[in-house]
Amino acid sequence: MEDLHKSTLESQEVGWDGGRVVAAAKAFFRRSAFLSNYLIAFLLILVLNFTLPRLMPGDPFQAIYGEEALLAMTPQLKAQLVERLALDQSMGQQFLAYILALAGGDLGHSYYYNQPVLSVILDFLPWTLLLTGSALVLSTLLGLFLGIESGFRRGRHLDKTLLASLMFLNGFPDFFMGIVLLLIFGVVWGLIPLSGALTPYSGLVGLPLAIDILHHLIAPLAALVLVRVTSAYLLTRNTMITTLKENFILAARAKGCSEGKIKYRHAGRNSLLPVVTATGLSIPQMITGALFVEIVFSYPGVGLLLYNSLLTRDYPLIQGILLMVTVVVLAANLLVDLLYSRLDPRVSHAR
Amino acid sequence: MLEISDLKVSYGGDEILAGIDLDLFRGDSIAIIGESGAGKTTLGLALMGLVDGRVSGRVLLDGVDIAALDDRERRKIRGKDMAMVFQNVEDALDPLMTVSDQIGEAIFVHQDRGDPRGVGDRVLRLLGSVGLEEVKGRSYPHQLSGGEKQRALIAMALANDPQVLILDEPTASLDAVTKAEITKLLLERMKGKVALVITHDLSAAARLTERMAVLYAGRIVEIGETCDLLENPRHPYTRGLIRSSPNMTTTKDLQGIPGRMVHGVCGCPFSERCTQRIDICDKVVPPLAEVGDRSIACHRGGIVPLLELSKIRTKFGKFVAVDGVDLTLYEGETIALVGESGSGKTTLAKTVIGLFSHQEGEIRLEGVPLARRDRGFYRKVQMIYQNPKESISHRMDVFDAVSEPLAVQKAGGSAERIATVKRVLEEVELSSDDDFLAKYPHQISGGEAQRVAIARALVLNPKLLIADEPTSALDASVQAKILRLLLNLQEKRGLAILFITHDIALARKVSDRMAVMLDGKIVEEGLTSVVTTSPVHPYTMRLLEVAPDLAPARVARGARETGPAGGGPWNISELLPLRAREL
Ligand code: SF4
Repeated sequence: MEDLHKSTLESQEVGWDGGRVVAAAKAFFRRSAFLSNYLIAFLLILVLNFTLPRLMPGDPFQAIYGEEALLAMTPQLKAQLVERLALDQSMGQQFLAYILALAGGDLGHSYYYNQPVLSVILDFLPWTLLLTGSALVLSTLLGLFLGIESGFRRGRHLDKTLLASLMFLNGFPDFFMGIVLLLIFGVVWGLIPLSGALTPYSGLVGLPLAIDILHHLIAPLAALVLVRVTSAYLLTRNTMITTLKENFILAARAKGCSEGKIKYRHAGRNSLLPVVTATGLSIPQMITGALFVEIVFSYPGVGLLLYNSLLTRDYPLIQGILLMVTVVVLAANLLVDLLYSRLDPRVSHAR
Repeated sequence: MLEISDLKVSYGGDEILAGIDLDLFRGDSIAIIGESGAGKTTLGLALMGLVDGRVSGRVLLDGVDIAALDDRERRKIRGKDMAMVFQNVEDALDPLMTVSDQIGEAIFVHQDRGDPRGVGDRVLRLLGSVGLEEVKGRSYPHQLSGGEKQRALIAMALANDPQVLILDEPTASLDAVTKAEITKLLLERMKGKVALVITHDLSAAARLTERMAVLYAGRIVEIGETCDLLENPRHPYTRGLIRSSPNMTTTKDLQGIPGRMVHGVCGCPFSERCTQRIDICDKVVPPLAEVGDRSIACHRGGIVPLLELSKIRTKFGKFVAVDGVDLTLYEGETIALVGESGSGKTTLAKTVIGLFSHQEGEIRLEGVPLARRDRGFYRKVQMIYQNPKESISHRMDVFDAVSEPLAVQKAGGSAERIATVKRVLEEVELSSDDDFLAKYPHQISGGEAQRVAIARALVLNPKLLIADEPTSALDASVQAKILRLLLNLQEKRGLAILFITHDIALARKVSDRMAVMLDGKIVEEGLTSVVTTSPVHPYTMRLLEVAPDLAPARVARGARETGPAGGGPWNISELLPLRAREL
């Protein structure tokens, strides 16, 4: 990697156009090698999703649709489905059919909602994205901010207080935190709605609608953030403490930089990197957490949907949701990786 | 312009700097020399106001005591009037910012109103002034080589044209070629400023600075002109430091300093390791006193002269064997007295020890004129001869031979004597078991016999050893070991050695200074390295010409190295002619 990057530099210096082209091509290959990791992971997920139900003993049909569904199914419908899933043909053709169906957005049919799985999921997904997305961003930013301030004042009063209280919060499971919040703010004080993502049939638009959404969002969001902030905080604080010992911090001080500049521009930025990585890694947990919290708050997201589909044994829907969630996790990781390479010049040049 | 007085820094209870006084003026360049732990870097950081520990004392910059300023005011000076280049280039730059941004930041933070264009231009000029191209400015630190990073750091320190520039190990961790380039750059950029070069690297200090301050355990022990101080160190520690630093100038084998540095001793910080300490040394801290153009912190005024000969004349009837010799031998030093047989060198040695008496001149031992040679004299001065049989009677076994001086001096009881003899025998790397003690000279080898002679000479713990061709009767490998032994004893005990030899090549490896004798006179005297590399007297040149030399072998090897097949790390084509020329 070193070599690659050196040669890139050199060719730039010489200003030889061919060099630039070569460099660009190399950069492209590096980038595509990086993306191909994600592609491979995606394919693996598809294969798994395809094979697992078919590997189960007994009728694949039963595995895909579940017993109750089969009982309720007319022979006509069954024949139709056999044809569509190519169940009477070879595995290869079945897979092809499966991929083609996916490409067409066909994740199967939810018999409970009597709608295509995709459209059911798409109804619920935005709320989950809103909840997890904002929880992820908020807990990371808050963790960073608190971690930077705390690490900068290591051993002093603020640091000790923050450390103790955040460690305490981190001890709770998120759904438990959700229940506590719901009981106190919703049931006892009546400050927050007990369920839903917005007031139904209120006809609100614009700002009032946004406020209404926020009002519904705040408690589940708080539950997630309060529990999740600690890991970002701890990591930031630790990195901050090590970063502050680095020579370039001393050099920045020697330049006459103010404490604020040292804290954020130098130490903070350098402490950001591991936190970004960790955030990427924590996405699956965050989503799991969100699924539970949604159930607690009856928040109409994918978590609630999954819960319901489990209760009703709506297998196509369950499989669709799992596929969707893994794809979302993958996409989020990709985003984090891209973000990281933007933040750290060493990675963007070396990759 | 920069006056430092009684600057102290302590972390917890440990005093890292124990009162530094230093006055510096515009255009001064001073090296702060010392080993790790001496407090060099702490001094730099304390001047910058960047230490966490407790700081006391005054640092006057243009008359303002900057050590007393509050944080905000201090920050305005940092990087503006006073800048520092840190050691360890590898992580002294922020990995996430381009080089230009980091240099620019140094300017920005000292501006009241931002002027991005002006800053950009200045950064470009700075990059140019340290020899970095523009693309390097747009690069991130990890894209630069060590030398380029060092240049960037220098540019950063120069950003606001500071009056005081502190360089902490500016050339450490750079390869030799880059080191030379950076040194050149620094010499240019240090002009007109107060420059402090903090380093453990004597050669870097020699190249970069005019003055030098030697720091030991938080105190300055010696200050002087750089070249003078390196050639003629006066504080025992300075000499030890120079002796233990590999370099291309001195020719004597490397020697260390016994013991290790301790902080917070109540007397002289070096007293634990000093071979010439006196009672007062570990009670009172010696002040830094001016002696000529040198400042030395030592109760004895630096390394003491042990033996002073002035105008010594020794005659045998009409024949003048020694003809007006002046020579001073310092504590812990080796002077080689070089000359052919008949030059009077052995006569001089025997005159000193009292086997011959001189007709004119004066001999002083530890500053006191020598009246007669009593027992006290032989406690301090001992001699070994070319042939060990001259010192050891063939009728004495090893124990008797070594313990005889103790008996003569009536020193200690018999149990004590046995212990002393055994210890000394071990010191000269001989066996100390009873078998060996009972051996007679004809039962042991020549090398062993010479060791026994040395043990006998050392048993009284003398300060001066006169060694007359002590190894010329021995095989080369045994000779090397005996010489190594003498150097070690010198290192450990501060033994001064007057080494008499006809072999200038040998003298070159064992002596600090060299005196060349011809017809009873000293015709040339000076640092061994100087005498052997640029001799003045034709006789010295002659001696050097006929001295053993392994040159043909070296030429052959050199040719192999520079040949195309040699390769190695040096296959940069421009270097080849250079190296060939050097040969
Ligand atoms: S003689 Fe005394 S004061 Fe001088 S260096 Fe030795 S111990 Fe220190």
